[in-house]
Amino acid sequence: MATVQFKKIVKKFGDNLVLNGVDVDIKDHEFVVIVGPSGCGKTTLLRMLAGLEEISDGEIFIDDLLVNELHPSKREIAMVFQDYALYPHMTVEENMNFALRLRKMPKAEINTRVTEAANILQLNKFLKRMPKQLSGGQRQRVAIGRAIVRKPKVFLFDEPLSNLDAKLREEMRVEIAKLYQRLNATIIYVTHDQVEAMTLAGRIVIMNHGIVQQVGSPIEVYRKPANLFVAGFIGSPTMNLLPGRLSVVDGTAVFSNESLTLPVPAFVLPQKEALDGREVILGVRPDDVLVERPGGEKCSGKIEGVLEVCELLGHRENLYLKVGGARLLATVEAFFNRSPGSAVSLCFNYQNMHVFDKTTERRISE
Amino acid sequence: MKKKMSAAAKRQLLKSILLHTGLVLFAAACVYPLLRIFSVSLRPGDKLVSMDLSIIPAGATFVSYTKLLGDTMFLRWLWNSLLITLATSFIGVSLASTAAYAFSRFRFPGKKVGMILLLSSQMIPAGMLILPLFLMIMKLKLMNTYLGMIIAYSVSSLPFSIWILKGYYDTIPRSLEEAALVDGTSQVGAFWRIILPLSTPALSIAFLFNFTTAWNEYLVARVVLFSSKQYTWTLGLFELQGQYITQWGMFAAGSMLVTIPVLCVFLYSSKWLISGLTLGSVKG
Amino acid sequence: MEILKSIYEVAWFILLVAAGVAALIGYLYSHFKFYSRSWFFPAVLAVFPALALAVFGGLLGGYAFKLWLYFLAAEAAIAAFFRYAVRGRHTVPYLLLAPAFVGLALLLVYPFVFEVYLSFHDLKLTTIMMWKNTGALPFVGISQYVKVFTTSPLSEVTFWALLLRTLVWTFSNVFFHVLGGFILALMLNNQLRFKGFYRTLLVIPWAMPQVVAVLAMRGEFHATNGFVNIVISKLLGIFPFLSHLGVAPVQWLTDYPLLTCTLINIWLGIPFMMVVILGGLQSISSSYYDAADIDGASYFQKLRYITLPLVRPVMMPAVTLGTVWTFNNINVIYLVTGQAGGTEQADILVSALYKAAFTYNRYSYSAAFAIVVFAMLFFFSVFYLKSFDAAKDER
Repeated sequence: MATVQFKKIVKKFGDNLVLNGVDVDIKDHEFVVIVGPSGCGKTTLLRMLAGLEEISDGEIFIDDLLVNELHPSKREIAMVFQDYALYPHMTVEENMNFALRLRKMPKAEINTRVTEAANILQLNKFLKRMPKQLSGGQRQRVAIGRAIVRKPKVFLFDEPLSNLDAKLREEMRVEIAKLYQRLNATIIYVTHDQVEAMTLAGRIVIMNHGIVQQVGSPIEVYRKPANLFVAGFIGSPTMNLLPGRLSVVDGTAVFSNESLTLPVPAFVLPQKEALDGREVILGVRPDDVLVERPGGEKCSGKIEGVLEVCELLGHRENLYLKVGGARLLATVEAFFNRSPGSAVSLCFNYQNMHVFDKTTERRISE
Repeated sequence: MKKKMSAAAKRQLLKSILLHTGLVLFAAACVYPLLRIFSVSLRPGDKLVSMDLSIIPAGATFVSYTKLLGDTMFLRWLWNSLLITLATSFIGVSLASTAAYAFSRFRFPGKKVGMILLLSSQMIPAGMLILPLFLMIMKLKLMNTYLGMIIAYSVSSLPFSIWILKGYYDTIPRSLEEAALVDGTSQVGAFWRIILPLSTPALSIAFLFNFTTAWNEYLVARVVLFSSKQYTWTLGLFELQGQYITQWGMFAAGSMLVTIPVLCVFLYSSKWLISGLTLGSVKG
Repeated sequence: MEILKSIYEVAWFILLVAAGVAALIGYLYSHFKFYSRSWFFPAVLAVFPALALAVFGGLLGGYAFKLWLYFLAAEAAIAAFFRYAVRGRHTVPYLLLAPAFVGLALLLVYPFVFEVYLSFHDLKLTTIMMWKNTGALPFVGISQYVKVFTTSPLSEVTFWALLLRTLVWTFSNVFFHVLGGFILALMLNNQLRFKGFYRTLLVIPWAMPQVVAVLAMRGEFHATNGFVNIVISKLLGIFPFLSHLGVAPVQWLTDYPLLTCTLINIWLGIPFMMVVILGGLQSISSSYYDAADIDGASYFQKLRYITLPLVRPVMMPAVTLGTVWTFNNINVIYLVTGQAGGTEQADILVSALYKAAFTYNRYSYSAAFAIVVFAMLFFFSVFYLKSFDAAKDER
């Protein structure tokens, strides 16, 4: 197993800057998920690591070995493709042992490796079938099996679940998590789905416009998003973002806009003096908007709002609220027995409140 | 309500009767000449020239066939055609398969120009190139040889083959080759082990197209080959048909022998061939 | 024994081609790979001209030294090109393309250039031996081109008559191909029993080897033994009044050769159009027709407003191709009229240039003629493609 380092990676397609100075260090045995919206450069980064895309500038190291000029086959990586890329003219078994045959490995060794991988992935019954006779989930397993038999230094997954339906996707997500525990390998996993990122990753790399926005554990990026983009991208449903202005009144910071005025406690904004008069954006996750509940110490005072629409999800319920001119989403326990149009009172949980600078979009709260 | 239904059914019936009648007539027009050749090939020698219109003539016999195979060099002509055709198709498809791959998968300066050149080469009248090719072959002292014919034919279907194959390669996902690269092949290895095996349908179409073009060619053969031992079957048949009265039966017999296998291959492969041709023509 | 010899001959040639391809790849690869080495220039300049001379020089004896200088100059230019322009980029695609393009250059581009050369010189029956032995030809400037327009390429027909005939031939053929193909495709595009069977029978004229088909059809147009005249005379026997309308057996091949050729070619060409149009018809989603039914469109309205516009994009390229093919069709005309002493009343431009070269041995004249025909076709295509593009932009 191995470490991977990206140093100041730049990728240009003509005049189009796709990656702009990406620096990431990936440790041995780590499961890193690269996540971002489509077009953010995450897949390009992965393909550069695999050697399928030329590197415009910067360096990539696998196990401290510079691989910029190395042929894909010499990098000791294995890749699972979005469309699986199973060779249609080979059986499942031939697909899985293709790489080993190319390396002229002894037959017995090939067989044990394929059998082992097939056992792990429950593919024994399908070894003699052709890929087109398999279902989507089975193809996915074969693609993973093809990677496992190689015993590579690094596994690369390029949006492996995006072609599956919702239910299968959940199953395979668990499978991949189990597989990681079993293989304990270095895995780099690219996805646009933040749920996959949150559930699978040891560490998440969030990218946008070819720039790394934040690197951290799922908890870190959820609790302390480094900027507005991460705040909006991670977490479902998305965070409520309220633009407004900070002022310091009687030694406390106060957030205000046309719709509401809210004191911001010191443990959220320690250096309040410097922030007087700053345009900011306040972020509160729907879970931290408490509706018709007594707020504790760490909560804001009551705010009056109007319930517009309720969405029942089962055990939770989404409430679309209107506070002055601003719209807010709150997620509460089911069942919230109020009819649309009724007035409700709510408060914000200060412990999970985020403040971002409006111009730099950086986080300024603790 | 019921009455209206039956009126509609009547109209439907009338329509289908009309359609079938029309199609039968057209189909007859398409098939009848073939049947006539068949009929002539079975006629006994003294009735070759007759106003008889029946398909199986009175006193049907295979004399024409035995005479054709025994008295003429028909088998030799077929053999000549086969050798020339196989060699040309093999060379043509091999060259086309790699060139099409370059056009399908790589970006390089001159790609667009190359494609346009390929397409516009289709505009050069085939008849126009016969003269310079004939002179070149003469200069190379390859008149009346297989090699001269193979040289003259080998690139004639190349642009079209490249076009068809490129179209097919374009439908094969790139990720297959990338997977092969990661698995440890070179770019050329990926082409050889993944793309070529997957392209057998398109390769067969290209091969078939090359084959039929060369197999049915007449005009170049006419000027390059002059001894009847070296003739292709097209020249041989033309010769037989030219001497109308005496050898009409043998001409018919030869036509049948050549047409039946070609028809079978064509009809068997027509689905792919047609889709390939229309693909080529639609894109072209 | 002869069979073995012929196999040996062809196999040997294929090996030769393979060796040529390998040599070409090796040659180019060395240029791609080592362009930046210090020994690149001396090495390639020493090795390749020497090799080329060893291969070709033996054939040519006396020219050898002069030829070697050419090789040297060419190699210097190529090496410089690879060192300063290509610089080892795009190796794989160029290597993949090289064999096909060298083949095309030798057997398509070079003949074309050679044809242009011929058209400015005088190669005919009396000069061909001289050319064969020395390679020299008298230069005659544009006089061959002047002759194309002033003298007759065959024994009596002028260029302008041929041109007119060609236009009539092309237009009538393509028109009936499209019309016939369209009607048949519309008929086949119904829920119908035996549809596959009909389709199979209907493509037979296309599937038959053209030589067989044309020669057989030619037989059917024979004055006494051909099917066409037999049927006409039988009809006359049954309906005597037809003879008053001018219906009578005719000498098709001698009196109406162009009409005969046209009829035969129409018969040959309809299946291709039918197949293309049928493909187009089948790709039209039935929901359009359902919508039109609800709007109350009649059969012909549907044909006019749905079928035609939607089949157009499939049909236009096929019609273009068909036009070029018909314009260039020597086969049918030559097979019908090409026998010794055959008529020249059916010849179109391309068959006339073929006959001018190979029946009358007026090679240079034929070359100039070919260039003129090519130029016409070229300008037609450019003009046509331009208008096609313009139409595309409008949409």
